[in-house]
Amino acid sequence: MNHEKFRLWDLPTRVFHWALVLAIVAAIVSGQLGGNLIDWHGRIGLFIVGLLAFRLAWGVVGSTYARFLQFLPTPGKVGAYLRGEWHGEGHNPLGALSVFGLLALLTAQAGSGLFANDDITFVGPLFDLVGKNLSNRLTGIHFLVSNAIYVLIALHIAAIAFYGHVRRQNLVRPMLTGWKEGTGESATGGGALALILALAVAGAAVHGASGAWLPASPPSPPAAETPNW
Amino acid sequence: MKSKLLLALVSITLAGTAAAQIKPEDAIKWRQSGYGFMAWNMARIKMNVEGTYNKEEVIKAANAIQAIANSGMGALYLPGTDKGTGWEKTRVKPEFFTNRDAVNKAAMAFIKEANEMAKVAAAGDAAATKEQLGKLSATCKGCHDDFKIKD
Repeated sequence: MNHEKFRLWDLPTRVFHWALVLAIVAAIVSGQLGGNLIDWHGRIGLFIVGLLAFRLAWGVVGSTYARFLQFLPTPGKVGAYLRGEWHGEGHNPLGALSVFGLLALLTAQAGSGLFANDDITFVGPLFDLVGKNLSNRLTGIHFLVSNAIYVLIALHIAAIAFYGHVRRQNLVRPMLTGWKEGTGESATGGGALALILALAVAGAAVHGASGAWLPASPPSPPAAETPNW
Repeated sequence: MKSKLLLALVSITLAGTAAAQIKPEDAIKWRQSGYGFMAWNMARIKMNVEGTYNKEEVIKAANAIQAIANSGMGALYLPGTDKGTGWEKTRVKPEFFTNRDAVNKAAMAFIKEANEMAKVAAAGDAAATKEQLGKLSATCKGCHDDFKIKD
């Protein structure tokens, strides 16, 4: 029995991952149910913007296996993996494609949602920047992309099941504990300063997405100026 | 008996011509106007439950929505008006005209919640109004999801 293990996923990466799981579930449920939950759908969307911005920053300043350059899926690496000749740790090249795919789709999803409207009472926080026509287009995209996200999530879970049952490798546990059994090199980097930086990026992204910086809409004229009927 | 029959015949004919006299373009315009006017009133109610609650404003808005909901707008969905332009290009899906049961169900749900909205507004409780606005919005979505084209 091999008791060797190494540090794979740092804590911020794991917190990000599971927070994103919960946020996506909440976004799907609130989006499907609508009604008053649509306001929560908007808030959850802003939270997801923050998570994504954090992850994009953490992919640069985070620890070893969280860095994009560490698992950049070049054609050479993907080919090697498919031939069974890839022996790295962290995201494998095919999984890396899925990671980048999910990040791109979720960014498109959260981004389009900021400008969307539901033709009822809800408008995204940046709706005023684009107007109704473009907002309708982006709302259409928001619906389309959600389907693509369902497909990638299903693939993501299917891959985990495949690794668990066929390859006898538990991918979930390292994402919970951070440790992986084996002889890989423990992750380094991604210290407190990097964390502060990534959180600052996330905060700035949420602020930008929230539209809080937009000039306040012009005050409506006093009631006395409109006819009293 | 004979006169009753004649009356029935005349009414059917009149009803038939009345419907036929609506131009498709007008029908699309009028239904778009109905939804546009409701949008203002939905927004009004929302502003009131989020800001200072003005009971009279909410009653006016809820009554307007109730009136439109009960105006028989179904008559504006003439066969063939799945395509065409009113104030803008119609965004109704062709399925709206072929899946009548589901459309009727969505419309009935909307009318029911619109009637309830007027009742709740009359009572003047902000929290209850907010909750009912959510239920009413959900019935709008019930039709948008399946029968409204997303650009």
